[in-house]
Amino acid sequence: MFISGIGIIFTRGRGIDSFENALMQGWTDPSWTDSFPAYRVAKEVLSDAALSKKIRRADKFSKMAVFSALDAFKDSGITLNSNETIGIILATAFGPHTTTFSFIDDILDYGDAGVSPTKFSNSVHNAAASYISTVLGSCGPTVTLTDFSYPFQNALLLAESWLKEERCKHVLCGCVDELSVVMEYACKMKMKTAEDGKIRPFLFSDCPVSVLGEGAAFFMLSEEKCKNNYGEVSEIKLFGESKNNPDIIIIDADGMTGDESDYEKISNTGLPLAGYSPVFGSMKIGSAFNFAAASLMLKKQHVYRCPVLDNHSQMNLCSSTSETNITGINCVRICRSDQISIINIKK
Amino acid sequence: MEEVKEMNLADIRKLLKELLIESLSLEDIQPDEIADDEILFGEGLGLDSLDAVEIVVLLQRNFGLEVKDMKQGKEIFYSIDTLARYVYNNTRIK
Repeated sequence: MFISGIGIIFTRGRGIDSFENALMQGWTDPSWTDSFPAYRVAKEVLSDAALSKKIRRADKFSKMAVFSALDAFKDSGITLNSNETIGIILATAFGPHTTTFSFIDDILDYGDAGVSPTKFSNSVHNAAASYISTVLGSCGPTVTLTDFSYPFQNALLLAESWLKEERCKHVLCGCVDELSVVMEYACKMKMKTAEDGKIRPFLFSDCPVSVLGEGAAFFMLSEEKCKNNYGEVSEIKLFGESKNNPDIIIIDADGMTGDESDYEKISNTGLPLAGYSPVFGSMKIGSAFNFAAASLMLKKQHVYRCPVLDNHSQMNLCSSTSETNITGINCVRICRSDQISIINIKK
Repeated sequence: MEEVKEMNLADIRKLLKELLIESLSLEDIQPDEIADDEILFGEGLGLDSLDAVEIVVLLQRNFGLEVKDMKQGKEIFYSIDTLARYVYNNTRIK
């Protein structure tokens, strides 16, 4: 399965070029609201005159999904013949919960007859995938996946099976999650927020700090190698050991999954280690953004400096941005010590 | 809702335009770009059936008015002017 296009919306803008610039630039201060840091997506990033009529009713969650999916499609340069279909897989941890809570609030405030039908339709998890399908005019299979531990990994596995079964030649596969007042409150109560706004992926703490993020990352995945190619996904392991020997390991540690001490074991190989969550924020779907970083590294043959280098374990971190010669990267996510997921991407 | 009783027709038209833009996410349109007699649905402002339901909710929430008869709704929802007259006449009865 080949990666032929990438689309991204995150705190520092829209598009794969913005993401690469952010990786080059390194860590920047998050925005602070009531002393709470978060990597929020600005409203201005979510306007697109060309799409304004088609997605007039879409909420922020759906807009982030549509823009990143469409950008991934455009980035691939693929033009579809009339008989070709494209699959759409959208993965999320929390879905459009801002709209869902607003809809519930409206029921309490105005009664069930006084709630907005648009809010109701947007509160459904599958709304975002439907908007993508409408904007692209796609008639292929469309699925929304919800998972708190491995949303991106599960989406990739499904995309791989669709391509193997020849249900479609290309799959737009990605993740989206948003921030909300409720989410910020829950994190304030339940998690440890980085007081200086810095996620520290390499401390391998059993009580790690987080800085919430939001955004969307989509990938055009193709059965065959296309003109625009970022690399090949050669292995997706949800639980188990990898067969591949990578040149670099990227870890998803971002303070969102609790105890991160197990990352130390898998990282202690002497191989160069990276983790880019301080660029985009802590998210259950953070794997998709690190996967985008890995894809860029393979395509451009560039290694990006880890944005926050704090490291007590003498790990061999990617500590400078430079040209490199790499053929494979493992993207690792651990939610429980017996559940280590590895995605291997090859040049 | 009480203050609506004090408003004249022009003020109600202005308020309705602002409410329509906000409720229907007509972000590219300014209130003064909607003519008082512009047809709201179809070839006019381009609203559709889901917008009609949204307007029903808007009238209920902001003015306490219920539109249950869709035949009547067609006449009321024809333009900003017809909507404003409906709001003006019915908020004064209450």
